[in-house]
Amino acid sequence: MSLTAKAKGILAAGAVLVGVILFFTLRFLLQSSPPAVSVPPSVQLVESRLVGRRGGQRQWEIISRSVLQEGNLVTLSDLEKMVVFQDGEPYLNISTPRAQWERRAELLKLHGPVVVEGEDGFRLESDYLEWEGRTGRLFSPGPVRMLWQGLEITAEEMSLDTEQAQVHLRRSVEIREGTLLWKLEEAVYDLDGEVLDFYGNVVVEEGAGSD
Amino acid sequence: MTKKWIVLFVLALVIMGASGACQAQGQRGRLEIMGVPADAATGRYNRESGVFAADVRDFAGAAIHVTFEEVRLVGQKMEWRTEDDYLIFTGGATLTKEDFTLTAETVEYFGSEKRLQAVGSVVVVTEDATVYAQQLDYDEETDRAVFTGQVKVEFEDGVLEGEKFVMFLETRELQFFGAFQGLFNTERE
Repeated sequence: MSLTAKAKGILAAGAVLVGVILFFTLRFLLQSSPPAVSVPPSVQLVESRLVGRRGGQRQWEIISRSVLQEGNLVTLSDLEKMVVFQDGEPYLNISTPRAQWERRAELLKLHGPVVVEGEDGFRLESDYLEWEGRTGRLFSPGPVRMLWQGLEITAEEMSLDTEQAQVHLRRSVEIREGTLLWKLEEAVYDLDGEVLDFYGNVVVEEGAGSD
Repeated sequence: MTKKWIVLFVLALVIMGASGACQAQGQRGRLEIMGVPADAATGRYNRESGVFAADVRDFAGAAIHVTFEEVRLVGQKMEWRTEDDYLIFTGGATLTKEDFTLTAETVEYFGSEKRLQAVGSVVVVTEDATVYAQQLDYDEETDRAVFTGQVKVEFEDGVLEGEKFVMFLETRELQFFGAFQGLFNTERE
């Protein structure tokens, strides 16, 4: 079908007009509205599964009802599930109501009450925990309680190095094993080797009994 | 010379033999490591092997105390094999119970055998006498305490010296083996 020059001109003008309309429509109608509060542009997701990877390997997986991203900071609320992986396999299950992920620093802050559970009955309770993705370290700057293979451990500060499988305990450390109660200033417990290195003054009481 | 010190001594041996550090069954014991800087490595406990080891010789004034009821054992280096109920203090140790004191370079307690051994510069001090020897072996089953090596017993009324000296609890008997010589003060008040 051949078109006259006039018809071609009308079609061309129509195409240009459609393009202009589409441009303005996309520009003004689909542009996000300004934030209600003075924070950087944010994204909120609902019922989300987040997976953190490093070097191609899964580091952690989180299922959260609410995820709010504000720049570099991701805030997770109403967490349903959080799993930390080691060598691609689930290593720790974490239960916490709220978490914040600082992406650049690879720092995951867990706001309590936090419960961490792992293999062989491992259980850790704390009011606040930090997970350093770069080092694979779980850190509790405040009081912590742990259960591990018949041991009940409390301390004022704890860091768990998942790479080395070592728990570093500081200040008012108490370890109960059966009827033995250890009171230590500082201790490092090797989870794989089941070796406890202690520092400073030590008290071991026998016959104290466990509850 | 009275035999009171012998009874006290044997009694103390029985008690310390029964103590076995703080591993005694159903009883309360306590181990303390004191006088160590907070960040200084003090020792190690291996849960798999059940071996507890501590060494505080590098720290002036630091000590390891094991107490069980009225018995106290103090030293600076020790190993406690909890599975075997075995305890050893090396590098010098002192055991006290009321007026009884045992000092030696090494003190070992073999819980499964109910036996205590003290080796090197052994000195036992009681209210009534002091015994010097190179080694002391106490067997809880036979209630026999054997002192060997340059044994010297000093008491109020005299001194006895020899190579082997044995005490029995039941018969309250003293046995001297080999050549022994004594010096007694026969003066009476």
